[in-house]
Amino acid sequence: MKVLVAVKRVVDAYVKVRVKSDHSGVELANAKMAINPFCEIAVEEAIRLKEQGKAEEVIAVSIGTSASQEQIRTALALGADRGILVETDQEAQPLSVARILKAIVEKEGIDLVILGKQSIDTDNNQVGQMLGALTNMPQGTFACKAEPGDGTITVTREIDGGEQTVALKLPAIVTTDLRLNEPRYASLPNIMKAKKKPIDTVTPDALGVSMESRIRTLSVEPPPQRSAGIKVGSVDELIDKLKNEAKVI
Amino acid sequence: MNAISEQQSSHIIARLQERLGEDSVKTDADALTEYGKDWTTAYRPDPLAVVLPRNIEQVVNLVQLANKLNFPLVPSGGRTGLSGGAVASNREVVVAFDRMNRILEFDAVDRQVVCEPGVITEQLQQFAEQQGLFYPVDFASAGSSQIGGNVATNAGGIKVIRYGMTRQWVMGLKVVTGSGELLELNRGLVKNATGYDFRHLFIGSEGTLGLVVEVTLALTAVPRDPTVLLLAVNDMQSCMEVLKTFQGRLQLSAFEFFSEPALQHVVSHKGLQRPFETQSPFYALIEFENDSESRLDEAMELFEVCLEAGWVLDGTVSQSVGQAETLWRLREDISETISRFSPYKNDISVRVSKVPEFLSRVDELVSARYPDFEIIWFGHIGDGNVHLNILKPEDLDLKTFQEQCGKVSREVFQLVKNYAGSVSAEHGVGLLKKAFLEASRDPLEIAYMKAVKKVFDPNGILNPGKVFDIQ
Ligand SMILES: Cc1cc2nc3c(=O)[nH]c(=O)nc-3n(C[C@H](O)[C@H](O)[C@H](O)COP(=O)(O)OP(=O)(O)OC[C@H]3O[C@@H](n4cnc5c(N)ncnc54)[C@H](O)[C@@H]3O)c2cc1C
Repeated sequence: MKVLVAVKRVVDAYVKVRVKSDHSGVELANAKMAINPFCEIAVEEAIRLKEQGKAEEVIAVSIGTSASQEQIRTALALGADRGILVETDQEAQPLSVARILKAIVEKEGIDLVILGKQSIDTDNNQVGQMLGALTNMPQGTFACKAEPGDGTITVTREIDGGEQTVALKLPAIVTTDLRLNEPRYASLPNIMKAKKKPIDTVTPDALGVSMESRIRTLSVEPPPQRSAGIKVGSVDELIDKLKNEAKVI
Repeated sequence: MNAISEQQSSHIIARLQERLGEDSVKTDADALTEYGKDWTTAYRPDPLAVVLPRNIEQVVNLVQLANKLNFPLVPSGGRTGLSGGAVASNREVVVAFDRMNRILEFDAVDRQVVCEPGVITEQLQQFAEQQGLFYPVDFASAGSSQIGGNVATNAGGIKVIRYGMTRQWVMGLKVVTGSGELLELNRGLVKNATGYDFRHLFIGSEGTLGLVVEVTLALTAVPRDPTVLLLAVNDMQSCMEVLKTFQGRLQLSAFEFFSEPALQHVVSHKGLQRPFETQSPFYALIEFENDSESRLDEAMELFEVCLEAGWVLDGTVSQSVGQAETLWRLREDISETISRFSPYKNDISVRVSKVPEFLSRVDELVSARYPDFEIIWFGHIGDGNVHLNILKPEDLDLKTFQEQCGKVSREVFQLVKNYAGSVSAEHGVGLLKKAFLEASRDPLEIAYMKAVKKVFDPNGILNPGKVFDIQ
């Protein structure tokens, strides 16, 4: 089985981002960047399949500027075999990303695509689903468990208030949710070895995909500021305030 | 100071209430137990009352009253102290600074902040962050300890190798001396060559000379992308070689170590992931600022050097802020994790160059004397400071356990003395290390300490019986 995982370079989840003064987006200059946490879970799942002997090859792809090589290197250090950088300076919107992934799936003859359910920067939750529509591959989204069988993969999905288990015929798409696994740390010896693993660079053009933008961001707003807390003098006062001011009890 | 009779007690409480207001004086059993102890477990809390002043004037008033009626005061901060400095077990009056917890002033040009002593360390760290600055003194108890307590113990922590101890950040102090006078020290000046700098006497004096009532602290620039390496290290000697190798080329902001049993406790108790499968006797946690592209490459090269030399067996590096934080937890959660085993703690230091030899001697001694006890090593090894923790076996009662440990401590401290080290690197002397002060300070020095105590606290009102006894 040949597995493709996508890794997106996003602002580190722990960085407190600030909205730019012109509201066109968030300030990313000098911000710490990292692999999107859901993509990290996808990489972990893929290398576990490889360790179990269920996958022969794991390919990590990232779409973005040359800086995204850093995230591919991390995926390689974690255990992916080779990388593909689809280099572009343009914003990678979901439909273009899905089309690029489709082109790679076809070119490489991929059996299983593992993607994060969403990236924490734009929170779209669209690529896996769009890729399913474009390729006609079945999809198991929001996976908290994935077990490959003979020509199939059984995926347990997180759904509102419970779980749903579906069986997909390969080739298939799985998108990861938080509980799927706990990603490992990249070991230093593996980071060193990963330097020798190949990364191919291609352009969207070469894959026949246009990066044409279909969505325009009109404005980004920070969440409303929380008002300061207060101290109450007694339990009675607390209950009174909860009842009559906050009206929560 | 003689024990206080029942009659005197009620008289003192009445006067306290009169002077400070009834709501500032607590005498209920819960408050007495809570405020009468710190993190140590060996002493039974038994204060007379707890007083919670709201301002400097009330503190002055309180100390003057204590002098007049001759009752002892025990200053109390966040009570995270590890040497019994804030313990009140002799009918003392506890002075707690919980209500003096405001940040008073900040100046962006001076990069200084003025705060009351009851400000929680973490609160100050967050305040600094909001100003785009950084308060670098940090340790696992920062969420509870107070700035006043940090000053009184000259707290160190996990960033000392780069930023020094609390002392380095104190630009000004207001203290109320044991005789009830308010002293204003240094007033935020960077340079001030006008005689004795008493500020430094009060820093680390564990509440025996004066009550810290206001602190002016310096802040600094926020470090860029602090990145954490965790390395599996072969032995202590190798650990120091690794330190030397990294320090030669990188500006480190932390160099910590812990032993495999320490790691195992944290991993199982906190449900954390092992950093890698390789097991080794020790682990080194190194933090550096990843402030330019080549930094990480440099760190990788240094790792390769250490790997080839056979000092390290494996390692990992944080790929995100989240990973840096979870790697830190492997070190920072040790104290809390082992606290359920009522550990007997030693916080000892020697010069960095002496660490491997010293540690192997201590290790030999301790394993020979306590073959059945579990020993946990961790600490700020980059500063020559190690925490030796002996865990209490479940079936042994606390008193016997502590007595047994106490006996061997004498021998450990003899070693400390031979290596010209310190019996308390950063936790203070308090009650716990009082009997061993002479292993680190010679009698002449101790005599001068007592003389200084007499100057600022002539009636022996402040924290009597802590650090040393005055007959
Ligand atoms: C999990 C854990 C980890 C720790 N790690 C470290 C570490 O890495 N480095 C380190 O240095 N310490 C460490 N400590 C010890 C402790 O947190 C520090 O000593 C801290 O500075 C104590 O502050 P506090 O406010 O809790 O003081 P307390 O324990 O309340 O008091 C400490 C001493 O200061 C005196 N005091 C308190 N407030 C005042 C005041 N306003 N004026 C005058 N005297 C006062 C008390 O009388 C007492 O003698 C750790 C403790 C724990 C529990």
